[in-house]
Amino acid sequence: MTQIQRFASRLAFGASALAFITTTASAGEITWWTPNFNEARARELLTRFQTEHPDVTVNLEITTTNGLPERILTTLQSGAAPDLIDVQHPWVNNYAQNGLVIPLDDVLEAREDYNEAALDYVTWDDQLWGIPYRIEAIAVLYNRGHFAAAGLDPDSPPKTWDELLTTARTLTEAGHSGFAITGGGEVGNTIFRSLPFVWMNGGDLLSEDGTTAVINSPEAVEAVKFWTDMYVEHGVSPTSTLENDGTANRRLFIADQVSMYQSGQFDIASIQTENPNIDIGAMMTPHPEGGEPAAILGGWSWVVPTTAENPEDAKTLIRWLAQPENMGFFTDTFPARTSAMELPRFDDPMLQVFGEMLPYGRPLPTHPQYAQMAQAYFDGIQRILIGEQTAQEAMDLAAEDIQALLDQ
Amino acid sequence: MRRLPTGLLFALPALIVLLALIAYPVVYTGILSVTDGSGAFTGTENFRDVLSARMTPRAFTNTLWWVGGSIIFQVILGTAAAILLNQEFPGRGIVRAIAVIPWVVPGIVAATTWAWMFHTEFGIINYMLTGPGLMDEPVGWLTNPDTVMPAMIAINVWKLFPFVAIMVLAGLQSIPKDLYEAARVDGASFWEETRYITLPQVRPVLIAVTLLLVIWALNHVTTIYAITKGGPANLTLITPIQIFRLGFESFQFNQAAALSVIFFVIAMVIVALYIRFLASSGEVAR
Amino acid sequence: MRAPLSSRIVVYGFSALLAAVCLFPFLWMIVSSLKELRELYTIPPSWIPQNPTLSNYATVLFSSNIPRYFLNSVVISLGSTALSLALAIFASYGFARFRFRGKAAAQSFVLVGQLLPTAAIIVPLFVTLRWLDLVNTYLGLILVYMIITLPLSVWMLTSYFKAIPVELEEAAIIDGASRMGVLFRITLPLSLPGLVAVTVYAFVTTWNEFIFALCFATDSSVKTLPIGLAEFTTEFNTDWGAVMAASMIMTLPVALLFLSMQRLFIGGLMAGATKG
Repeated sequence: MTQIQRFASRLAFGASALAFITTTASAGEITWWTPNFNEARARELLTRFQTEHPDVTVNLEITTTNGLPERILTTLQSGAAPDLIDVQHPWVNNYAQNGLVIPLDDVLEAREDYNEAALDYVTWDDQLWGIPYRIEAIAVLYNRGHFAAAGLDPDSPPKTWDELLTTARTLTEAGHSGFAITGGGEVGNTIFRSLPFVWMNGGDLLSEDGTTAVINSPEAVEAVKFWTDMYVEHGVSPTSTLENDGTANRRLFIADQVSMYQSGQFDIASIQTENPNIDIGAMMTPHPEGGEPAAILGGWSWVVPTTAENPEDAKTLIRWLAQPENMGFFTDTFPARTSAMELPRFDDPMLQVFGEMLPYGRPLPTHPQYAQMAQAYFDGIQRILIGEQTAQEAMDLAAEDIQALLDQ
Repeated sequence: MRRLPTGLLFALPALIVLLALIAYPVVYTGILSVTDGSGAFTGTENFRDVLSARMTPRAFTNTLWWVGGSIIFQVILGTAAAILLNQEFPGRGIVRAIAVIPWVVPGIVAATTWAWMFHTEFGIINYMLTGPGLMDEPVGWLTNPDTVMPAMIAINVWKLFPFVAIMVLAGLQSIPKDLYEAARVDGASFWEETRYITLPQVRPVLIAVTLLLVIWALNHVTTIYAITKGGPANLTLITPIQIFRLGFESFQFNQAAALSVIFFVIAMVIVALYIRFLASSGEVAR
Repeated sequence: MRAPLSSRIVVYGFSALLAAVCLFPFLWMIVSSLKELRELYTIPPSWIPQNPTLSNYATVLFSSNIPRYFLNSVVISLGSTALSLALAIFASYGFARFRFRGKAAAQSFVLVGQLLPTAAIIVPLFVTLRWLDLVNTYLGLILVYMIITLPLSVWMLTSYFKAIPVELEEAAIIDGASRMGVLFRITLPLSLPGLVAVTVYAFVTTWNEFIFALCFATDSSVKTLPIGLAEFTTEFNTDWGAVMAASMIMTLPVALLFLSMQRLFIGGLMAGATKG
């Protein structure tokens, strides 16, 4: 947090402190921001929480997904923050590095029960800045009907890259787009779908010590080429690839245009309601011969802002919410605690593959300039997809941009 | 105390409200632009960092295209629509109400609807063009480097030309009818009337509208951000979107502030030049 | 009808073209608002809904926050329109009718708020609002919207006022009218079309504003319609049918409002003025 911001928040805080004493927050009152898709479950949990903790009153404020990062940043920077906010894992490190949230090491119970990659995500400077509650990883959804119609066995989906490509081509010849990749929308869509391919091939965005850009290494370029060639070379990804994000691919899948695409379990319900005729299958993300799958771990954490008025009660609420049965109830996808996975709601064959992907989940880099690096990489991918550059040229340029950010 | 000029007294309430609102943001942005994340003074470092980024010059060029393309068509089409809507014909009220619709539709919804209609596969536009055989292949309107910026400009023109039309239409009402009657007696054609009476009479309105359109286009985020986010490969990246990304996506508040300052200064120069030109010729025209 | 047939055909031809251009995407929105979820994204796309349904409208009206937000939007848009009109009328009159030192500077200053990128001013503006204790209040949003509505209102009204022959006012002043009397009895009535245009502008702009409302109105008692639209989007999904239905509910009242106000665009208010 900059001095001016600190000064500003104090100024603002001091000016309205009087008003606060009379109007809001006596001790025991906290405000919790949670996204709209969590609302129903949050309200149910809170009813139970209030009976166990009658001394703490929780005001729930519902946030919307559109504009969420802007709204949270505005409130964090201006010193008018709530006591508890639900945020996506990759945001936590930036908040921590800018002094906008407080460490939560004293809140975490049963550390070994948590997914390790999820904890890595929210760790910075050897401290824990958020409590992960929800995790997920992307795998591949496919249309079993298309497999059967093209003479492929729906029960043995491709496991390796070679098999993936052959299968995608066969499906494309049968009249659909065999394997849809993304090339548009938010940067994250393409990062989550392409970077694991780089990882599986032994490449990475940055060197292990985080000082050098290595996205133009032969392994990385080979992986990027393999992934983008789905569109550029083989045409097994739809012609609209450059304007499609994960949601657009799901819609093409629902419209029976796409046979395989990368997605999380969150798409399954939509597909089932909008086109019940599709027999959905799920497979682990195919890996290079002799390698193993990889994924970026996604999901959500709780954070407590530096300017929270009542951090202690916020911590009490987090401790309660993080109990395995509460966390398991609250999460939209999977819980961050292994023991919570035992709950009956996760015992669903459709979810099995996505659960098996979790151990292969890795966090994104936590460099302060990561967002700009991701943009540089994504710009490179788009240059390949519009045919402006080869994979090598595009990744050389991306590495140059990323290196400039590292050297700043 | 010396008495304030009457004109200034009239303007004072508005000036005070605006000053109260923007004084702090201006100071805050200025300070952020010359400090680092910990609040230490860094001089021009943020400016150097942001100017050395590869995408900065590209964003500037794109912004020029975006502003130029948008303004020309908005003003021409808007003025033409205003002249049309000023003719007397039955059903004029309905046509006027229809003409404001693009402007009234929420920006984000309009942008998303256009993105949907332009979509290579789901899009009704490609369907209508390929269906009757006008084109063999669907066009990637939003992905082809040659069409994506023109498509963005077209959407922006569609959204805002009704605004120009309304403003000019209001200006047209103050033209005395006897001017036209005199011209008609002299046998002037429609084009001569437009050129020698209508346009000169709405000139002050056009000057003000154009200035505001330039400012809005310079500061526009919604349409492009909702559809392409500046892509593909930064082909539609304009400076305000770069600032938005730097601040809200990349947490580079100081660099975002530095770019804002540069942007502000350039915009201010444009406005100052414009007002100078307006002050030297506009007053006389009155 | 004074115009000859040929020019009437031209006028109708262009009017039809104008209406078509303006309505084309709008019709697509109407069609979409009547479709079932599974029909929204089909290939090829269809102009006619197979099973037209009003369920999207039912969702919006009976199980969303839109009705409540509609009320908030009406209050906030009317409030900021009235305030900006009041401030702008005086400021514009001062700019249009008087010469004073620093006028050009004052006129450019009015624009400063719009020259700062939105992304740069949100945080400090929030701080200012907190300092005034106006976060989550109608008044807070109404005030903030002055940054957006005042520049245009002031500039446009100035140019409309300038179009009124100054001789008319001078005559009244010779007859003993005060400056205020002149402004309210002569200038304002004569610039009615301009006032209508600026009113519509201020209303439409605040009606559709998203980012300020998102950041400065976090309580559902002050949230506005654009936030209501955003609430139909969850992390991986958007209820497009509902968004389109809600957009109709947002758009049509404003278009109807304009339909009733466009009568005030009357020419010839100053017929004969220049002869005198």
